[in-house]
Amino acid sequence: MTHGHAKKGAKTVFDLQDLTVRYSGRAAVKDVSMGIHEKEITALIGPSGCGKSTLIRCLNRMNDLIPSAAVEGHCYYHEQDLYAPEVDPVEVRKRIGMVFQKPNPFPKSIFDNVAFGPRVLGLSEITERVERALRSAALWDEVKDRLGDNAYGMSGGQQQRLCIARCIAVDPDVILMDEPCSALDPIATGRIEDLMLELKEDYSIVIVTHNMQQAARVSNRTAFLIVELGADEDSRWGQLIEYDETDKIFTNPSDSRTEDYVTGKVG
Amino acid sequence: MPEQTRLHYQEELANLEQRALGGLDLVVASLDRTLEAVEHKDSELAELVIADDDRIDGRYLEVHQAILTLLATQAPVATDLRLISALLHVMHSIERMGDQCVNIAKVIPLTGHDAPQHSEMVDRILLMGKKARFMLSQAKESFEGRDVELAGDLVRQDDLIDNLNKECFQIAVQVGEDQDTREWAMTMMLVARALERIGDNAVDIGEQVAFVVTGLFREFEDASHPGQATLPSS
Repeated sequence: MTHGHAKKGAKTVFDLQDLTVRYSGRAAVKDVSMGIHEKEITALIGPSGCGKSTLIRCLNRMNDLIPSAAVEGHCYYHEQDLYAPEVDPVEVRKRIGMVFQKPNPFPKSIFDNVAFGPRVLGLSEITERVERALRSAALWDEVKDRLGDNAYGMSGGQQQRLCIARCIAVDPDVILMDEPCSALDPIATGRIEDLMLELKEDYSIVIVTHNMQQAARVSNRTAFLIVELGADEDSRWGQLIEYDETDKIFTNPSDSRTEDYVTGKVG
Repeated sequence: MPEQTRLHYQEELANLEQRALGGLDLVVASLDRTLEAVEHKDSELAELVIADDDRIDGRYLEVHQAILTLLATQAPVATDLRLISALLHVMHSIERMGDQCVNIAKVIPLTGHDAPQHSEMVDRILLMGKKARFMLSQAKESFEGRDVELAGDLVRQDDLIDNLNKECFQIAVQVGEDQDTREWAMTMMLVARALERIGDNAVDIGEQVAFVVTGLFREFEDASHPGQATLPSS
């Protein structure tokens, strides 16, 4: 398979080497090796159960929160092993933020939602920081006159952009997005996609999406994973099949399994 | 008025159109050199036309690849889809017109340094070239402006080129008994033919303009049923 090797001069932010994740001893995703590039959008696609969500959750140690989860292999972040014993997972999640499938604002005001992270971290100039984050999330003009309103009163699309603002308020380096648009209508989805294309100027973005066309529209590189079945019918795990520039994946994929998936022949 | 979305894609599409139509400028530059080489029997300039056709071919490949990527990644529909389909045709016409310049450039050495000349034929060929050049500009302008009327007018201009081509043919037929003169006239007919084809390609681009705007594809002029023009009503 292809590993999406770095273009000349392109820097990688993550370098995964033979990464395997197990839940209660059973592999959810096996032997993934890939480099994720800085200031690009990398999409993870594949059928249900292929391990793409498990994989993205490794990138900011979210799997630590699941007691039975175990990670093997290496996940380097700027050449630092993310899973080295001295690494503080809280510091990791500050640098590597995450946006989830369902918008999950706190039951607080719009302002307090965005200010939450900076306050916890004891950062200064909270008001300026909140405004900057809301502007970056293309939300400022819509909410600047009602910052004290409860975030639950916003539309789904606005809530998701609020979650993105909350994520960037602590100046992360990477934004992980796990199906960020699957609960949104096409217009709200279009806004988030436009926003992602703006954000990649300053952040590295990794997105998991069920929507292949979304991966095609926004990402620079696409990784395709499948569900591999073991000899005994019980065991199944996710495996990386092809990882390349997105236009290559969608115009001339190297692996016939990628071709079958992107053309919709097999799901 | 809802806020516009997919701005990045719109920008990519606009850029693609600009790169494709910019190919017409490359053809105009090539045609200018070609006509100058014909007028002055300048073989060196003709060599340059042949070498420089790589730029037009390169543009074709570049736009073709970009179109494939846009089709695969952005799933364009409606007007966007018609535009992309039209650009594919336009780019093909541009590539063909570049090749016609090369065809002319290749026969220039055959006309010889002191070959006989019939100015009435040369003048007509140069006039054909001038009209073809004008058609290229008009094709570009009509595409950029989505101007179906201007696109339809290309047929009228193409008729003028066709008539000049027929006149050249008559001159060639009646050029006399001299072997060298007849060879020269035959060669010049190849030049006239290539220019006549460039005019046809410009009309093809005009047809694509009508397709983008109306969603209906119709040949402006049907070669197999002459006289049954289906010019768009204006």
